[in-house]
Amino acid sequence: MIRVAHLTVKYGAIAALTDVSFEVRPGSITAVLGANGAGKTTLLRTISSLMTPSQGEIFLGDTALVGQKTEDIARLGVAHVPEGRGVVAEFTVEENLRLGALSSPENSAHAVAAQFERFPVLAQRRKQYAATLSGGERQMLALARALVARPTVLLLDEPSLGLSPMVTADIMTTISTLSREEKLTVVLVEQNAKSALRIADHAVVLHVGTVVADAPAGDVANNDDLKRFYLGLVK
Amino acid sequence: MLRPNFHRLPTTSRWIVILGVTATALGFTFTFNAGLNAQIASGAAISIVVLGLTWLTGWSGQISLGNSGFMACGGYFVGVWANHHAATPLVISLLFATAAGALGGLILAVPATRLRGPYLAGATLAFATVTSSLVYVFGNWTGGPTSQLFLNSLTTPSWFARMFSGIQASLNSSAQYGADLAICVAAIAFLFMSNLFHSRLGRAMTLVRDNDVSAELMGINLRRTRTIAFVIAAALGGLGGGLQTLLNGSVTPGSFPLTISITLLTLMVLGGIGTLTGAVLGGLIFAVSSNVINWLCSTAGISSTSNLGTNMQGIVFSVLLMTTMLIAPQGISGNIVRGYRHLMQRFTSKIDNSPA
Amino acid sequence: MGGFLASRFMSDVFNGVANGIIFSLIALSLVVVWQSTNVLNFAQGAMATFATYIGMTQVEHGINIWLCMVISVVVGFIFGGLTERVLIRPLYGKPDINPIVVMVGFLGFLQFLAAAIWGNIPRILPSPFSQVFYTSKGHTIFLSPFVVFQILTAVTVMMIVALVFRFTTLGLKLRAAALAPEVARLLGVRVDRLLTFGWMISSAVGSFTAILVAMQNGSALSPSVMGSVFIFGFIAAAVGGLDSPIGAVVGGLLIGLVEQFTLDYWQANMAPVMALVVLIVVLMIRPRGLFTKNTQRRV
Ligand SMILES: Nc1ncnc2c1ncn2[C@@H]1O[C@H](COP(=O)(O)OP(=O)(O)O)[C@@H](O)[C@H]1O
Ligand SMILES: [Mg+2]
Repeated sequence: MIRVAHLTVKYGAIAALTDVSFEVRPGSITAVLGANGAGKTTLLRTISSLMTPSQGEIFLGDTALVGQKTEDIARLGVAHVPEGRGVVAEFTVEENLRLGALSSPENSAHAVAAQFERFPVLAQRRKQYAATLSGGERQMLALARALVARPTVLLLDEPSLGLSPMVTADIMTTISTLSREEKLTVVLVEQNAKSALRIADHAVVLHVGTVVADAPAGDVANNDDLKRFYLGLVK
Repeated sequence: MLRPNFHRLPTTSRWIVILGVTATALGFTFTFNAGLNAQIASGAAISIVVLGLTWLTGWSGQISLGNSGFMACGGYFVGVWANHHAATPLVISLLFATAAGALGGLILAVPATRLRGPYLAGATLAFATVTSSLVYVFGNWTGGPTSQLFLNSLTTPSWFARMFSGIQASLNSSAQYGADLAICVAAIAFLFMSNLFHSRLGRAMTLVRDNDVSAELMGINLRRTRTIAFVIAAALGGLGGGLQTLLNGSVTPGSFPLTISITLLTLMVLGGIGTLTGAVLGGLIFAVSSNVINWLCSTAGISSTSNLGTNMQGIVFSVLLMTTMLIAPQGISGNIVRGYRHLMQRFTSKIDNSPA
Repeated sequence: MGGFLASRFMSDVFNGVANGIIFSLIALSLVVVWQSTNVLNFAQGAMATFATYIGMTQVEHGINIWLCMVISVVVGFIFGGLTERVLIRPLYGKPDINPIVVMVGFLGFLQFLAAAIWGNIPRILPSPFSQVFYTSKGHTIFLSPFVVFQILTAVTVMMIVALVFRFTTLGLKLRAAALAPEVARLLGVRVDRLLTFGWMISSAVGSFTAILVAMQNGSALSPSVMGSVFIFGFIAAAVGGLDSPIGAVVGGLLIGLVEQFTLDYWQANMAPVMALVVLIVVLMIRPRGLFTKNTQRRV
């Protein structure tokens, strides 16, 4: 579904990603793991064309993404929930969802209503400003907003950031259910390797901008060296 | 590495350069006719104001559209003073003009140093508007809409006239006197500022401009530093305005229109923001601009009294201002420095690569 | 009643509101582009004047005055878009000073060019409504049909802008493009086009304002007709807070009243001084204006 080939991305002279290649199978959840500064956010931002790589290609199916406009990539069905969720604090919950529905092919009122059905928490807070939501609710809103446009690919940047373990578990379950029910392809960027590996099918581990592991999630979860050196999970 | 960057020269070399340029300019005034010398004089006066602007905007990072207001402070003070005390020595008049400008700057600095970016630009623009209304408010002193003439303000001293024809000052010798005087005043201003750019204060200024948070952590008082920047720029504005008033022998509300602020910006940006060389170039450009524009108009067959002809200078300056900022925001001096470094780099790398 | 409406106080209120609403319109169009592009359009008045010249000089060719007004506004609309595409777009992400300098240059360019094309002699524009003040039982009330028209249309323009921004999908996109451009793009919103559109709206509103200003009693169309109006408009916007459309409207009315009361009770030349004093006092207390919430969104 998504193929990243020999991707190198730089900030000025410093490379944040060096020769990164991996594939994401359709309908799967692929966890992209790594410590702070590993280049995870940069990877997602490059997929969405918020950054331009100095080398390499990204394909969505057969479509090359490098060089396309961010908004066109979104319209191709790639929904990106950025780091920090990207909820517009000055908008109400409903306005945030309507914003997500703008590039939706179907009736947007319908699409918004469908998300309210899926996330009753949000339906109750329809007219509330997003600034007043709790962290977990904001993450729900960000997810719901990404889904209104009926994407085929979901890019999530650290959904667990700043959430308690219980809420994190909740969000992960939601992501897992979504992926299964909607046949969504998910790229799940996480520092919280444990929670991510629980729901992921596949895992890519980044370390200072290079891929150090690209394997089924189970294998990564059972590899003590990886866990110790790159994921900070000490047995 | 060799750098042609004037700021980095040691003090004595800087002084030598400034004095050399001054002497050359003075030399040229002996060969120029009265018209050209009058232009040189106003170019030198305006370069002082540009110097203040480039210090304020380029060195302390505060954009100002209000420097025509400082000029008005200096210009009107000299005018009003000369009306009552015709025999005031020149130096005293100019010092008064400088002080009047500085006072205007001090008043504006109270609000301005709290503002940033467009708020600051707009507020300084409003200040310039307000100074021109104050000319009317204090019409009893300033003469309001009528112009203030003081014919004998810039009498050519007899020793100067004697160098030429005789006891009586001629048109030519008084024009040259004006030009030489303006050049000397400008030279003093540039000498003073060249030292200031490199003083502790100058360095503090650039720190405040580049990163005010870390400057504050280093114990620099932001408000005070920014206020000083304003006062100095305003003092130079007042000096330039006062000098211009003396050279013209008159001052009217139209002497310092808002469009001067556009001219000043153009001269600063064209010359190169934040550099002494840029301010000199700006003054030079101003001095020759009317000749160049007239030449352009006559080549293109545009009557100099037509609507297009009378507005040509404004149009050309505005277009230059926009395009320079869009295409080469470092201006002439910045690009010369860049080009020179580029050349030197190629040159030195060639030497490095050559076999020993 | 007629006596009260004709009182000095009420006359000042009428005049103050009539002028203030003009400042509000200028402030509003400044705010619209500031919010979305972080550029303070110093050329706003000059752009509006230029568009007004193009449209309103058609009156001299016998074209209906209402049609001329429409032409001016349409020209302003297109002009705003062109300006954003050609001059402003290369400046996004540059230091504050670059757009300021370019817009000041553009201000000069348009003002001198207008003078070169149409001359500096002011042109009196015909007014679609009478400028004679109403009277009631022998008292003059400082309201004329034109002033009423001016206030009503200005309020209408503001209402339209407000309704579009608050209740339409287009408004939602425009607000999102201003508040969170990156997020908007990730959601498929074509932010570039919206920024251009924001400039077009702003410039159209500006042109309409310039027509009103030039038609006013005692005023006429000249290359610098918007000069001081722009300064008052900027002060209004800064007093209200450059981020707040409501602040722009309130700031405009406030400055209009301050101006009017100053010139009536003191003298006309003190009006800009008092406006600057108001600006300074407000900014000393609230550096980002009266109506800006204390969010540190753009740092
Ligand atoms: N805007 C930026 N400018 C310069 N360097 C950056 C910028 N953003 C990120 N980086 C650098 O790029 C590297 C990768 O960052 P990022 O992709 O944010 O990592 P992660 O999301 O895995 O924590 C880091 O070393 C970081 O310092
Ligand atoms: Mg990250």
